[in-house]
Amino acid sequence: MSATKGRTSSFTRNVLSASSSQTPGIKCGPNGTFFVSSGISDLDKILGGGIPLGSLVMVMEDAEAPHHMLLLRNFMSQGLVQDQPLLYASPSKDPRGFLGTLPCPSSKDDKLRNHDPQQEKGLRIAWQYKKYFGENQQSFDGHRGSKQEFCNDFDLRKPLERHFFSGQRVDCVSVKDSPNLVALQDRCTTFLAQFPRNDGSISSVGRIAIQSLCAPQCTHSNMEWDVLSFISYLKSMLWSANAVAVVTFPPSLLSESFCKRWQHMADILLSVRAIPDDDKELAKLLTGYQDMVGFLNVHKVARTNTQVPLILEATTFSIKLQKRRFLVLECLNQAPIDGSSGASYGTSGSCSGSSKTGTLEF
Amino acid sequence: MAESICRTLRDGSLEGEHAPALTIKDTAASPFGFDVFAYVLSQLSSFILAGKSQSRVVVVVAFTRSPSFYVDLLKRRGLDVTSFHKWIQILDCYTDPLGWKGKLVESGNAMCISDEASSVTHLCKDVRDLDNLYSLILELGKGLAGQGKAHFSVAIDSVNEMLRHASLSRVAGLLSNLRSHDQISCIYWLLHSDLHEVRVTSSVEYMSSMVANVEPLNPSASGQRWDSENVSLLKQNFQKGKLNVRFKRRNGRVRLMCEEFHIEQSGINFTPVSSEDGTINQGLLPKVQFSLQLSEKEQTERAKVLLPFEHQGNGKPIQIYDGRRSLEDNKNEATLASTGNLQRNEASGEGEIIYFRDSDDERPDSDEDPDDDLDI
Repeated sequence: MSATKGRTSSFTRNVLSASSSQTPGIKCGPNGTFFVSSGISDLDKILGGGIPLGSLVMVMEDAEAPHHMLLLRNFMSQGLVQDQPLLYASPSKDPRGFLGTLPCPSSKDDKLRNHDPQQEKGLRIAWQYKKYFGENQQSFDGHRGSKQEFCNDFDLRKPLERHFFSGQRVDCVSVKDSPNLVALQDRCTTFLAQFPRNDGSISSVGRIAIQSLCAPQCTHSNMEWDVLSFISYLKSMLWSANAVAVVTFPPSLLSESFCKRWQHMADILLSVRAIPDDDKELAKLLTGYQDMVGFLNVHKVARTNTQVPLILEATTFSIKLQKRRFLVLECLNQAPIDGSSGASYGTSGSCSGSSKTGTLEF
Repeated sequence: MAESICRTLRDGSLEGEHAPALTIKDTAASPFGFDVFAYVLSQLSSFILAGKSQSRVVVVVAFTRSPSFYVDLLKRRGLDVTSFHKWIQILDCYTDPLGWKGKLVESGNAMCISDEASSVTHLCKDVRDLDNLYSLILELGKGLAGQGKAHFSVAIDSVNEMLRHASLSRVAGLLSNLRSHDQISCIYWLLHSDLHEVRVTSSVEYMSSMVANVEPLNPSASGQRWDSENVSLLKQNFQKGKLNVRFKRRNGRVRLMCEEFHIEQSGINFTPVSSEDGTINQGLLPKVQFSLQLSEKEQTERAKVLLPFEHQGNGKPIQIYDGRRSLEDNKNEATLASTGNLQRNEASGEGEIIYFRDSDDERPDSDEDPDDDLDI
């Protein structure tokens, strides 16, 4: 599990926690940062509490799997449920259609990860013991009602109720037919102007979700420098606004140097990968292979106002759909157990094996 | 695997989803992509005729073969010619793709296609205008299938030809528009991957939900000198090959399947692959710091290393192994290294253990405890 001990040393800034309790979607973090939830509680834990305000999350897609859509859906639903305005851009002709696939928060009795009292009897030999830590944490979280509002559990099979995304709260942009990214840039500017960052309290938080930037069917996919300047512009706008942005892109379709530049731009860098179906070797190597749909790699985690990096115990997680409804991320349990996979990002090698990988060792 | 591809295309798309799209990819080493394409076309046509598929009509966008070729192809597969006009339409981008013939002085150039084909053919004079191409495809499809909910499928002869005349983003835009159209139930196309940059090929694969890769049976044999060994392998490549299919499933997993095929006069035949080759991509999992397994080479080398024990455990009389003198058996077996002797040990490869005995006086396996000498 990731290191979210939550202890504060005497050197951290004292921040008034009054502002966070008024707005439900925001949590106080260490070093004077505020977090918003990504919509997936496991991911929030891995990132050290959530997505810091003002950061840019980039997700490297896998051409063979739609897992980035799962991340986007949870992110967008979380914002809508907490009344945070959303700007959504996608390469399809009708982005509004995607809103119909957003998941609904599940009701309390659907929660699956209940502590099974029967398991306490008898001797348990805990091989791969870390999987059992989650049970202890659940009982702890249950006492703090406020934690539930920060991040909801989403049921991917139930669509979000219409009233959440009708009206002015969601703005959709299609980047398919526009000749360049100027229109998208303008929309982002006007959207982010609603959430200026002052030293006062945070009134509202905005979310930007851009799906498949530089998809091949968009005209701007040829204009790599323009896309890069758009990303740096977005990053600078975010830094002076109370908002977060999630951008997904297909790294296998970009040239290698641009892929590297994009990765450097990200504050939080994730990548998703597909796994082969019915692979007996993988089934032997990993426990719980049947429930897995893919892998999530965490390459970079944002740390603001501090020089202490966040060192994760593990950077590869398996994406599982519990009962095909709830998205969970789990540490990989394999033998022999290995902690980190090294500090390299840009490994977009997936099952295809044909994509070039570039590793950057720091 | 070819069967399952055809079945997936036949079943079409669900409500609100993109249509399944197949990319058939080949290279010069195994140039049988068109045979696979023709196979898929004829299979799906027979499904349409039998009423088993979601789509009722197929629109063939023909860039590399004339419409008469397709009509003859389907005739040879036993499909009834007279009913063609009910379920197939061919968009002819082969005869006059850039509209040059219309500008020739002798404008009496009749289209040299057969009568059977002409009833189902529609000529396209400008393949550079992809919007026009898109609307033509839709028009042909809807014209036969009817408006409303009826589905049709689209077969594109060669994406390479489209990429000759238009940019990648325009072609990708057309393909994604076709895929997301409500009335299109499935779409498949052929791509020769060695004619383009990797980026182009991966973009086209990105747009598809199934990729069928036509590969030579013996990839190492192609491109080498014609030795006597290679010739037979190369000859195999002329008629046979492997079809590797990657299915992108809805839940995000990728199904990998493999089949062998054999080109014959009548067409292409698929057989299940002879040897199962299960490979997992080690790049997926984080690298393990220990290597607990020995490779085969390492195992044989380990077996060959002669250990410097007093006896080798093979029943021979015990002899003191002295680093300065070689054992008597060495004349027959592999030699061991000694101080002044630099004999190379060929039999046991590079593994050597150099051991120098402490003293000559020790008898083998002596029961003496050296600590007994101590006087405390």
